[in-house]
Amino acid sequence: MERVSAPAPAASGQASGPLLAVADLTLRFGGVTALDGVGFTVAPGELLAVIGPNGAGKTSVFNCLNGVYRPQRGTIELGGQSLIGRAPAAIAGLGVARTFQNLGLFPQLSLVDNLMLGRHHLMRTGFLAGMAWWGRAKREEIEHRAAVEDVIELLELEPYRRTPAGLLPYGVAKRAELGRALAMEPRLLLLDEPVAGMNVEETEDMARYLVQARRELGLAMILVEHDMRLVMDLADRVVALDFGVVIAAGTPDEVRDDPRVVEAYLGCGA
Amino acid sequence: MARPHRNLVRDHGQDLRLFGTPAARTGLVAMLAVFAVLPTVVREDFWLSVLIYVGITAIGAIGLNLLTGYCGQVSLGHAFFIGAGAYCTAIAGGTLGLPLPLWLAAAAMVGAALGGLIGPFTLRLRGHYLAIVTLGLVFVGEHLWRNLRPVTGGNSGTSVTASTALGPVDLSRIEVAGEVYSRNQGWFWLVWALVGLTALLAKNLVRTRPGRALQAIRDRDQAAEVIGVRAGRYKIAAFMVSSAIAAVAGALFGAYQQFVSPDEWNLLLSIQYIAIVIVGGLGTIFGAVLGAIFVGALPALIDRYSDVIPGVQTSVGGDGFISVFALNQAIFGVLIVVFLVVEPRGLAGIWLRIKTYFRTWPFSY
Repeated sequence: MERVSAPAPAASGQASGPLLAVADLTLRFGGVTALDGVGFTVAPGELLAVIGPNGAGKTSVFNCLNGVYRPQRGTIELGGQSLIGRAPAAIAGLGVARTFQNLGLFPQLSLVDNLMLGRHHLMRTGFLAGMAWWGRAKREEIEHRAAVEDVIELLELEPYRRTPAGLLPYGVAKRAELGRALAMEPRLLLLDEPVAGMNVEETEDMARYLVQARRELGLAMILVEHDMRLVMDLADRVVALDFGVVIAAGTPDEVRDDPRVVEAYLGCGA
Repeated sequence: MARPHRNLVRDHGQDLRLFGTPAARTGLVAMLAVFAVLPTVVREDFWLSVLIYVGITAIGAIGLNLLTGYCGQVSLGHAFFIGAGAYCTAIAGGTLGLPLPLWLAAAAMVGAALGGLIGPFTLRLRGHYLAIVTLGLVFVGEHLWRNLRPVTGGNSGTSVTASTALGPVDLSRIEVAGEVYSRNQGWFWLVWALVGLTALLAKNLVRTRPGRALQAIRDRDQAAEVIGVRAGRYKIAAFMVSSAIAAVAGALFGAYQQFVSPDEWNLLLSIQYIAIVIVGGLGTIFGAVLGAIFVGALPALIDRYSDVIPGVQTSVGGDGFISVFALNQAIFGVLIVVFLVVEPRGLAGIWLRIKTYFRTWPFSY
């Protein structure tokens, strides 16, 4: 299969260059090659969608970006810094946030505590300061609670502040997870199927929140999603994966009409 | 001028108060009053000593709950750290003759250091495997306590003669306005003041950044890593804090008893603590204290009333089919099972339900 390299992002003319540059990413599990020479870039403020059939390697890309998996080959650079070999927590500290396909909220903690955990890497209170409470710990709690309230307002989560995350309705939980990622004040947001299992109305709500978050916070996003309507509406550019290989890249319209993408999805030459 | 309703929260600082509502403040005052007055009402040494042991147990249980309830790390090694604290006090308080605050701090530091040594070994383990490794700690400990004769006195044990003077006041003999208070009364105040302090520190810990991180690790460790929590470091730190508190409990235990022997730091003690945090409610500070009152008082009460409980041997070889020791073991086991099956949130969960019932009354559905 011919490999297609991703086109340069729209913003490449600027001096800043891409926010994220992934090149030649290769990940193997024993004999199985999950990713084979995957490369793409994301410009600041850009929304890149990654599509592909089940098992194409979309979530593996995220796990590499996050530091959960360590690729055998390739480079991942965020704002010029390499992410390869860094621990997940360190990568979070560099400004990469993520939502999970099957919910990564902490079920026993309240919604507010979940969002406050998003601010963990921005806070400094340690064990002793936390025990003492008066002073830094209290100041930080109040300061970051105010930031969390902004996110709660943006995503209209007010009624659920004290609800344990495990008891939230599914659609709200998905929104809360987006909220936790936004609370991290990331430069790059990885969204793993944010509307999976949602009905049309919930999907439209989520799309509205994503557009709003992008407009107000101006952060770059990578979206993995099976809902093609959402992808075509939101994405600036699309990368299509199949069996761990990039088979098409370009604007949503270009990728939608690409015969290789149609073949990957429908399983026959169209 | 209309005043805002007493339960209205107007800023985040107010929302973060521990005793934010009038009801909570009333409860706090009531607890302080009971703390001050109880030893002057209950003067009998037996009951005071039960309350002192319960208080010491509550401190240790708060420590275990930070590790097991909040961080999700089941540890059967708590008895080891309690024993270490007691022997540390035999040296720091007895041999070196340090004053009360210093031998308590020394025990806490030794506990934290031991926890920090053992913590890294637990990083790759969870669930049953972690329980088994920490179980091993109890037996390694028993071997050490029996053989490190210069420190522990070997099988025959060692006396602990730690000073109980706090500045000019000797807690063993408090004199206020001509009234002299006994050693047990003084110890009640000391121990329960420390219960309050430990509970406050632990509560502050779990409602701020580090405590939230522990709970995140308990709920979903990989998601915690991805949002920026360094799970390994926090697990080790939780181990250190938990063992430091356990060692303080051990220090108080040794100093109060004035004598400790290796038989006391056995598996049953660890299981008693597990029973306490489960019965009291995993992941609550208040529950650890409730559990300590409920479970910690049982052995003493069974011992005291063994002559009226049918089937219990009051002396070796006496009538009855079960010894006091065996009955205790059986009761801990039954309590763990019953609470896990019937009320996994423990006594604290029951208390929360009662509170919610009255707060939402008459709409309690």
